[in-house]
Amino acid sequence: MKEAVRQIAGEAWAFRARVEREAANRFRRLSAAIPAFDPDSPVCGLLWRAASDEDRHAELCAGLSASYGCPALGDAADASIAPPTFGSRDAVLYEMVAACCITETESVATLATLLGERAEPRVRAVLREIARDEVVHGRMGWAHLSREAAARDVSFLAACVPSMLSGTVDEGFFSATESGPEELLRHGVLPPARKREIFLRTLDEVVLPGLERLSVSAEPARAWLHKRRL
Amino acid sequence: MLFKKLFRLLVLGGAIIGAGTRCAGVGQSQKPDSQSGDSSPDGGMATAQDGGTSSSGGGGVIGW
Repeated sequence: MKEAVRQIAGEAWAFRARVEREAANRFRRLSAAIPAFDPDSPVCGLLWRAASDEDRHAELCAGLSASYGCPALGDAADASIAPPTFGSRDAVLYEMVAACCITETESVATLATLLGERAEPRVRAVLREIARDEVVHGRMGWAHLSREAAARDVSFLAACVPSMLSGTVDEGFFSATESGPEELLRHGVLPPARKREIFLRTLDEVVLPGLERLSVSAEPARAWLHKRRL
Repeated sequence: MLFKKLFRLLVLGGAIIGAGTRCAGVGQSQKPDSQSGDSSPDGGMATAQDGGTSSSGGGGVIGW
């Protein structure tokens, strides 16, 4: 394996280990918050189990990053990403949409794409285990949004989606032109151009239609995307 | 094809889950400590909102 590929793969898996630890913290916090306004929600129990899944995923990712010579270090942060002016119920909804409807849904698409490639056996085993759980994690967001949309007006979220998307990728994500080494796919990493393609198609064909189906206009998000596609 | 399948699996599948209620016992034995004792009623959301956005950049969650 080329040194550059080893380094990129190691850093990617170390980054994923941190992302998974942060998700575990977020899911535990959100699980504790939902019963205050929706005590019958099935999402609370799902979130609590998902937190344990994410702890396990973090260990799997850290194991792979270490095997590439890049130990996963550092503590996982946890802070609400909702606007500080939001009340707790709106803040939970904001985070569920950002973390699950957008990020976990994107993760499922990424994992499905990677599993369609010829990954190394140890990488493939990790991808399979994580993919199985991430489907449930994505559904949690759509389940919560559907409950809230049935109970109250959730149209305020439409204006928030561009901020959620801005925090999901960095600005360079849309301008990167290099294709990256195809060998990365064997190590569970999408080259930048492929990653962008999957991200955009998932937004266009899954996330934004999903939001619209649940009474959240996708127009602000489409305008945000349009500017970055120019 | 992948994306149509994902829409059904995640969006429609999630909406079906959302239409249900918590099963008896689910979550009861797995409740976090903060639900059973002296925690704030909002599960600490208000406190968490005072924090920064170090786990994400400006209101979103970075993923894979």
